[in-house]
Amino acid sequence: MTQKPLLEIKNLRKMYDDGFEAVKGISFSVRKGEVFGILGPNGAGKTTTLEMIEGMRPITGGTALLDGLNVQEEPYAVKERIGVQLQASSFFPNLSLLELLKLFSDLYAESTNAMELLREVGLEEKAKSAVKELSGGQKQRFSIATTLVNNPVAVFLDEPTTGLDPQARRNLWDLVQQIQKRGTTVIITTHYMEEAQVLCDRVAIMDEGKIIALDTPDKLIQQLLDRGFKPQTKVAPATLEDVFIDLTGKELRD
Amino acid sequence: MKRTLISLWSLTVASTKMYFRNKSAVFFTLFLPLAFIGVFGLLSQSGNSSFTLDVTNHSTTPLAKNVVTGLGKVSAFKVNQVSEADGATQLGKGKADLQVIIPAGFGQIDPATHRVSATKIITHYNAGKPQNGQAANLVLGQIVAGLNDQVTQTPQIISLESSGVKTNNLGTIDFLLPGILAMSIMQLGIFSVAFAFVSMKTTGMLRRIQATPTHPINFVIAQGATRLLIGLLQVVLLTVLGVWLFGFHMLGNWLTFLLMAILGTLVFLGFGFTVAGWAKDENQAAPIANIFSFPMLFLSGIFFPRDAFPDWLKHITDFFPLTYLADAMRSIANEGAHLAQLSGDILGLVVWGLIMFALAVKVFKWE
Repeated sequence: MTQKPLLEIKNLRKMYDDGFEAVKGISFSVRKGEVFGILGPNGAGKTTTLEMIEGMRPITGGTALLDGLNVQEEPYAVKERIGVQLQASSFFPNLSLLELLKLFSDLYAESTNAMELLREVGLEEKAKSAVKELSGGQKQRFSIATTLVNNPVAVFLDEPTTGLDPQARRNLWDLVQQIQKRGTTVIITTHYMEEAQVLCDRVAIMDEGKIIALDTPDKLIQQLLDRGFKPQTKVAPATLEDVFIDLTGKELRD
Repeated sequence: MKRTLISLWSLTVASTKMYFRNKSAVFFTLFLPLAFIGVFGLLSQSGNSSFTLDVTNHSTTPLAKNVVTGLGKVSAFKVNQVSEADGATQLGKGKADLQVIIPAGFGQIDPATHRVSATKIITHYNAGKPQNGQAANLVLGQIVAGLNDQVTQTPQIISLESSGVKTNNLGTIDFLLPGILAMSIMQLGIFSVAFAFVSMKTTGMLRRIQATPTHPINFVIAQGATRLLIGLLQVVLLTVLGVWLFGFHMLGNWLTFLLMAILGTLVFLGFGFTVAGWAKDENQAAPIANIFSFPMLFLSGIFFPRDAFPDWLKHITDFFPLTYLADAMRSIANEGAHLAQLSGDILGLVVWGLIMFALAVKVFKWE
């Protein structure tokens, strides 16, 4: 029953050159196959945490183990096993989606069926298009496709739904759940609480470089209510977003 | 190792595709230099079928007159009789290929020995367009040899003293093309690398590569390889078109010419990577790239020879990498120079290359 966690973070710290401590000794672990959310306001240290785990930023203190590999000691071995979607990454201009996916496969020396991957993220018809011709939601789906070329054990998604319309957001949720069904662990950051509630098995809430809460969304809500919390306004049984989706439909608009 | 090779190859292919699909990049590397060559080539092109000789005869002897009439009968020559000063001006403007001066006293018969005394003809050609001048000189040499036999029946009495006169007029295609090739190589090395790379930085593409197990240095190498390829293509294409359309004379070895182009591309890639590595964004890259390239564009003898410069400026510009490259390529094309004869230029370029790559490594930032 006590399966070894896929990701084990112990007392992880990041101090930048200018003396700013972005991450102040956090510890958590992620189980294989779960969707783990890292929530928090801007500047809480979410992205820095991810980048340290991904081997893209030097670790100041503490350890990060992925699949038993120490990230600091073997960053390249870790990078081979994971897929990374960066918050703001664009792709080479003047290349088609198919060409880009093949390029990314080559960066891992993997022979991926790029067309199959595009089909998986619903971009089959855009195979010959350039990234700049895609809508916001399509771009994010493509970006996620690039994280899957090496059949990773875990994918890291940094705010994949920021700036998307409600339809595209829901569509991306489906994609994340699809990835989870493949058996791939997902570590995701977001500002949207309802998104975390839908997608995440467990969430860590970060603020000012520390984890201030970590549990399943339901338990966190229960704990709040147990502390005697009462919503300020009467909670309506539906939200404005429900109205929007009801009126405009769930179909993608891109 | 296998992954490095696969990703290096794939990145190089991708870089090349990106380059050729970028219309403005293709315009700047191939069509703009061609347009330069076309415009300047046409401006300076004159009828190549005959040579224009500006002849000044200071002598009154029959032999001198014979020489002048003799020249006029040669179908390859168009002879104008002008004053010496006018002849020099015409030569400077590129309107005459050869200035011929028959000094006073030419062909006089020494009363004591009854032999022809002063028999020297002086010629000047324009060093800016040496081909026509030297060719005309060659023909003239044949005629003079013939005259020797005819007039005096003793060989080698009339001799020819010839020298190149350097002028600062717009030269012909032979002066221009190697310079413009050198300039294009510089622009390719500095600008195309700097901007392509900096935009990868600002858009986050470089970070995205860093998230894969392939080190982004492979992308730097791929970019360099692509530029070398394009540089070679550019040199071959422009030179062939130069020969074909504008009568460019390639006297040297093609391989030597291409080797020099490769060396030049490598050196300017050093500049490009220094700019690309140092700059955070396009706004930082543009001015620094211009600071490197602009003075060289005008002071390295690309469009006009540096001889008109004051000495101090000439000495400074002697050490510009573009001067080394342009001079070397010109020597190969115009004079058929071998690599051994270009050791000074090669040394200069190698030193610049080492300095710039060391600097690039020092200032390089991935973000």
